[in-house]
Amino acid sequence: MSYDPHREDYQRLGLRFARSLDGADPIAATRAFASFGRRFSQNRDSLPQSDADRAFHLVAEATTLIDYELPFADDIQAEQLIDQGHRLLDEALALDAKCHDAIRMKAAAESSSFESYYDFLAQSAGDVRAACEEARAQACDESPERALLEADIAMRPYYRWLATQAGKAVICGRNREAIRLGEQLLELDPLDSADVRFTCAIAYAKLEDEAGLERFAARTKPLTRAGIDDAWMQLSRISLAHKRHDLGEARHLLRNLISAYPHATAALASQKELPDGVFARLAVAPFSEDELILAISEGTVLLQEGRDDSGRGVLGTWVARQVGLSSVKDSQQ
Amino acid sequence: MSLRDDLYERLARRRSAKLGGLSPAAYDELLLSVREHPDTFVDDPHDQAFELLVQAVDRVIHSRKDDEFLGDDEFMAERTRRMERLRHDCAEALAVSPDSTHARLLNILAQDLEPDAQLDALLELDQVVSAETASLTPDYQDAWQDVFAHGPLRVKAVLSRTCLDTARYRMSVRYAQELIERNPSDMLGARHTCALSLARLEDEQGFDDLDARFGRRGDSWQQLSRTILFYKLGRMPAARRSLKGFAHLCEGGPYALLRPVMVDTYLPDRPDTDPYSFAEVTLAVHEADPVICDVPDLCTWAESQDGFGDEARLYAERNGYGW
Repeated sequence: MSYDPHREDYQRLGLRFARSLDGADPIAATRAFASFGRRFSQNRDSLPQSDADRAFHLVAEATTLIDYELPFADDIQAEQLIDQGHRLLDEALALDAKCHDAIRMKAAAESSSFESYYDFLAQSAGDVRAACEEARAQACDESPERALLEADIAMRPYYRWLATQAGKAVICGRNREAIRLGEQLLELDPLDSADVRFTCAIAYAKLEDEAGLERFAARTKPLTRAGIDDAWMQLSRISLAHKRHDLGEARHLLRNLISAYPHATAALASQKELPDGVFARLAVAPFSEDELILAISEGTVLLQEGRDDSGRGVLGTWVARQVGLSSVKDSQQ
Repeated sequence: MSLRDDLYERLARRRSAKLGGLSPAAYDELLLSVREHPDTFVDDPHDQAFELLVQAVDRVIHSRKDDEFLGDDEFMAERTRRMERLRHDCAEALAVSPDSTHARLLNILAQDLEPDAQLDALLELDQVVSAETASLTPDYQDAWQDVFAHGPLRVKAVLSRTCLDTARYRMSVRYAQELIERNPSDMLGARHTCALSLARLEDEQGFDDLDARFGRRGDSWQQLSRTILFYKLGRMPAARRSLKGFAHLCEGGPYALLRPVMVDTYLPDRPDTDPYSFAEVTLAVHEADPVICDVPDLCTWAESQDGFGDEARLYAERNGYGW
């Protein structure tokens, strides 16, 4: 699921536009709404919007550059993309000083270490929550459905804040804190639009808390997609089996992961570490190759642990060897 | 306690058993004679093998003394030669005494296996040795009192450290605790490995129980682990206090943490060091490496704490170490 900023941008303007049509003749309103999509994409300025909406639109644009284009750019392009992205974020903040997504994204770039970014997130979390809750309280849409969406959109910057904080906690080696933050977010957003449960699974594996992970898996079972465990949960279980030196079980779980995702052996052999999405975890299709690549990248903290001369980590080396062996077997068959 | 001390005790025990009914004073006399002329007391193949190992390990440790003057390539070549020789010596010992636990253990270490492969070999050895010793009725509350039981205890100590090296922290804790159960005086320092693993697992209760069990005596490992634990738990005032304690108590602690050095394979025991000495803290930081790597900003944080970085630099300057 994750967060697609362009979809959210569309939802924000859609809501405002729909509200502007309230009380109008239903036929005229329907006709007007039919033109919304075209106006959104071609003549955005003709639509009613607040400065906060405009700021969010700039955040969406910046996200495209920083999270989706930057990883594929060469050095020269990269510099341009970064400059452009920052300009957009600055503009967003000039329009709306309380644009928490822009504040968070700028801090990610300006922090000198994981620790200082994490500290910044932790220190401001309370204020962000208060601001988002205030915005939610002002949700005033007449239609109950639209009011729900409006309230949800008001809280999302805080959900993203907490989810980022949880992810950074794992990177900083603070796994209990990551779980605490994840639980806090799940309580606020039981549908887990941020997919923070992925981060929690990794944190449980880091703590080698098998019972904790299984309780968590049982509790979040309704959130699984098509009843199949996501790659984060599967990787965490592989890591735990490997950590208790049950290599037979680890191999069995690895085979399950390989059959759940396309081209899994290639992703598991290369174990690429990608920069984390600065807006949010990248929006990719469930059970796609891209999703597995993201999970492996976030699973670096599990793969690259221990003393290992290859630099891949003990589990990373083991996994690469296993998929190497299985691809040899496949090609022989 | 070194392997050499073990050899003397083994020889004295065996001779004492042959002679029968020695008074404690007479046993002490015997031990003195053994120390002076150990060769004349070696008349059992197990002890003969053990003596070969003691000599082999002494040779390696002695030859390490000049390592710091070697270039990287020279050092690696020298180290490879040394380990080859050690393997050869282990084979010789095993030819004399095929069930020698120490020879099997040192042979595993001398092979320089990848961490996972070393763990496999040690687990197998632990199983074999445990089965072999299960039939022996324990006469002692603390297994260390029986010099012939030291081998299996050493296997557990190495196993616990290897688990830590392969990022298997619960297993590391389990083997350390098994060892501490059998050897409550913890002559092999399993508590040190245990403390580091518990800190990595952010297990404050387990850490505190361990600390209490050993009378909160403290040492470099404990001080370092506590700092890591509080840092990971985000309890920063407590982490800062622990770091201050670490810097204050461990000689050259800040330098050791910020400029870790390579420490060669333990054969099989951790080298003896004085409490809170620079040598001790150097070993503690080396053993903690996998745990420290998992907290990527720990050292940057430590360096930025009041005076910590300056102390490290000052220590380097005073002792002529590079910075």
